[in-house]
Amino acid sequence: MTNSSSFSNNIVLCVKDIKKVYPNGVVANDGVSFSLLKGEIHSILGENGAGKTTLIKIITGCITPDSGEIYVHGNRVNINSPMDAINLKIGVIHQHFTLIPSLTVAENIALSLPLNFSLDLENIKKKIRDIAKSINLEINPDAKIEELSVGLRQRVEIIKILCQDAEILIFDEPTSVLTPLEVKKLFSMIRELKSRGKSIILITHKVKEALSISDRITIMRRGRIIKTLTPSETNEDELAFLIVGDVRPSFIARESNPGEPLLIVKNLKVLGDRKEIAVNGVSFFIRSGEIVGIAGVAGNGQKELVEALTGLRRVESGSIIFKGMDLTNKSPRFIIRSGIAYIPEDRIRRGVIPNLSVAENLILKSFDSPPYSRSMIMNRNIIESFAQNLINIFGIVTPNSQIAVRNLSGGNIQKLIVARELSNHANVLIAENPSAGLDVRSTETLHQMLSDLRSKGIGILLISADLDEILKLSDRVLIMFNGRIVGELDRNNIDMNKVAKLMLGAT
Amino acid sequence: MIELIIGLLATTMATSTVLILASIGETIVERGGLLNLSIEGTMLIGAFLGFLGAYFTGNLWLGLLMAIIGGIITTLIFGLLVVKLNLNQVISGLAINLLTYGLCLYFFRYTFSQGAMPYLKELIYPLPIPFLSQIPIIGPILFNQTIFVYIALISAPFIYYLLFRTSFGLKLRAIGEDPSIAYRLGINVNKIRYMALILEGILVGMAGGMLCLSMFNVFDVRITGAKGFIAISIVILGRWNPIGALGGAIIFGFTEALSLWVGTLIIGPLSASMSQLLSTLPYSVAIIALLIGGRRAKGPAGLGSPFLKE
Repeated sequence: MTNSSSFSNNIVLCVKDIKKVYPNGVVANDGVSFSLLKGEIHSILGENGAGKTTLIKIITGCITPDSGEIYVHGNRVNINSPMDAINLKIGVIHQHFTLIPSLTVAENIALSLPLNFSLDLENIKKKIRDIAKSINLEINPDAKIEELSVGLRQRVEIIKILCQDAEILIFDEPTSVLTPLEVKKLFSMIRELKSRGKSIILITHKVKEALSISDRITIMRRGRIIKTLTPSETNEDELAFLIVGDVRPSFIARESNPGEPLLIVKNLKVLGDRKEIAVNGVSFFIRSGEIVGIAGVAGNGQKELVEALTGLRRVESGSIIFKGMDLTNKSPRFIIRSGIAYIPEDRIRRGVIPNLSVAENLILKSFDSPPYSRSMIMNRNIIESFAQNLINIFGIVTPNSQIAVRNLSGGNIQKLIVARELSNHANVLIAENPSAGLDVRSTETLHQMLSDLRSKGIGILLISADLDEILKLSDRVLIMFNGRIVGELDRNNIDMNKVAKLMLGAT
Repeated sequence: MIELIIGLLATTMATSTVLILASIGETIVERGGLLNLSIEGTMLIGAFLGFLGAYFTGNLWLGLLMAIIGGIITTLIFGLLVVKLNLNQVISGLAINLLTYGLCLYFFRYTFSQGAMPYLKELIYPLPIPFLSQIPIIGPILFNQTIFVYIALISAPFIYYLLFRTSFGLKLRAIGEDPSIAYRLGINVNKIRYMALILEGILVGMAGGMLCLSMFNVFDVRITGAKGFIAISIVILGRWNPIGALGGAIIFGFTEALSLWVGTLIIGPLSASMSQLLSTLPYSVAIIALLIGGRRAKGPAGLGSPFLKE
């Protein structure tokens, strides 16, 4: 009895029976109860669409729940706006940062603090420097946000909520935008914050991360809390099982049996945004029925290479030959028509038009040709049945084909893009970080799809910052560093140490 | 010759003032992400109520007060449409322009049915500043002007300070860049936008009042002469900065003063049509200035886009 009461004294945040149904009928939180202890790192683990982000938005006052109660230090509270949350010393680092790019670090942080009418930026800058120093961070308060890398922007967010004296810190998928090195730094920072008595909620869909840093792990699935565990009493497999709710599909063993070269890239040179040489004489080929992986730390020319291949960036010299056709510096339209499909990393900005419907997005690359349209008139029936067909085949979860794509979860948007790209009878597929931001199940489905395509004789170029993904799928692995291909390894002959060394530029 | 130039520049200050007040007012709300095209109608209401107030009370200062109140009411109606009801900003602005034009026309004819053109017996005259107005050249240009000119000149650095050195300005600029981020930061987006609109209403209403109370002593629905729209282009030209707006407005005021001055020099049978052609000069300058100066101008990222809470 005494035990339980001291336990309850330690609860800094407690939500009871939270329910939230969105206007479009999605039940995001279905009776969620959860508690956070003082000084713990508590992970909430679940797939995309499990309701984690909704729960966080409710706790931070961005949306109001339909029913349920929230207690902070044992007191019932109403959190109706972000300001209420800040006053209760709840701070959140959103997945999408709440920073204004054209303003400086100090101005952005000032915005989240109670301010006098006459703005004392010098004082705020001093506070930023002090806090940054206390957790061993370096940050220039006068830098504009738009000049900072994603990792640095995240630090600004952390310093911001510390400036607000937050005691409860919530990180919403903090690692999804970071490089492995930045993740390491972030985690040591989170541990540092814990040692200073802060209570931390970490929202993630990455099992390994949750296991490595948490004191407790709560699993969410389809809007409900499934279980709360400590890392010592569980393991990766059990967590993955709890998250997905059924057995994970195992990966198919397979034989490499590539055909003719489809895409031949020779001596490609491409400039980056700042006119620097981003791709420096890259040559490779892709055969039908194989997956060629390009491994490398992000920012070594992969993005520019992909943009050159898809016609989005000018090629300075070299050539891109596809089935005997020269595609060098051709328009994206020409390249698409030739039979090259593309799954972009930035789904929302490059992959779909969020405000158009699922059906419209599915015919984005073929809308102007029969049978979808004839002499400018679109055939709604054919488009609808085509869309329904793809929705069924690819298992896109959507109420109907007429709903705007922005309402779909990331995994379903990705399925939609894959469905569209493959319905075009392409011979080569360029997949750029295709599993970024996807949960375990969606990633598994995606990998299965890529593998099936390979069996059907399609040549796939897989660019990924996730080495596990590259190694799992590729027949051949090319390693890119500093704009060059610095190594090529066969699937059956992979030496992890060598790959890691090549990626980091060692010879 | 020197006296002519001094006269021209002194007229420039007077003709610029309407544009300075209006463009600075518009700069404030555009910094907050609102594109208020109803500034023309706001100015017209200011002129109309200013005229009515002064005509019926016989007191020019009560007229000015009415002009300011009219300006605030009009911008708040715009606020009601776009902030509270989240309607399209462009359409709301244009609708208010049409509405105010119709209302002013109707009530002017209703109030002064037939008969002689009503006019004010007095105008707000220049208020020479002791000592300063005696300085050669600068004195007559800057310090022998009406109170409107002084207010316009002071408002530029004052609003600059407000936008860039106060927490209000910081919040407003953040809203203008991205209202939903500002909201998530705990900023009361609507309240700040209403405050900006009230400031604009004061400045634009005053600009309208100046037309009837200090420049012309009569009212006509065409009195604003698209000055509100010129003010909108000045905002772009001044890069959403009150000091820039001040400079831009003076350039336009100068072309207007120039066309007035050249117009008086032309005599002969064609003088009437020539001076009408000359009066289009400020509008041509607006297009040319935007071509040159407005090309790379980058406004607040969220300008004109609606803000919906989740």
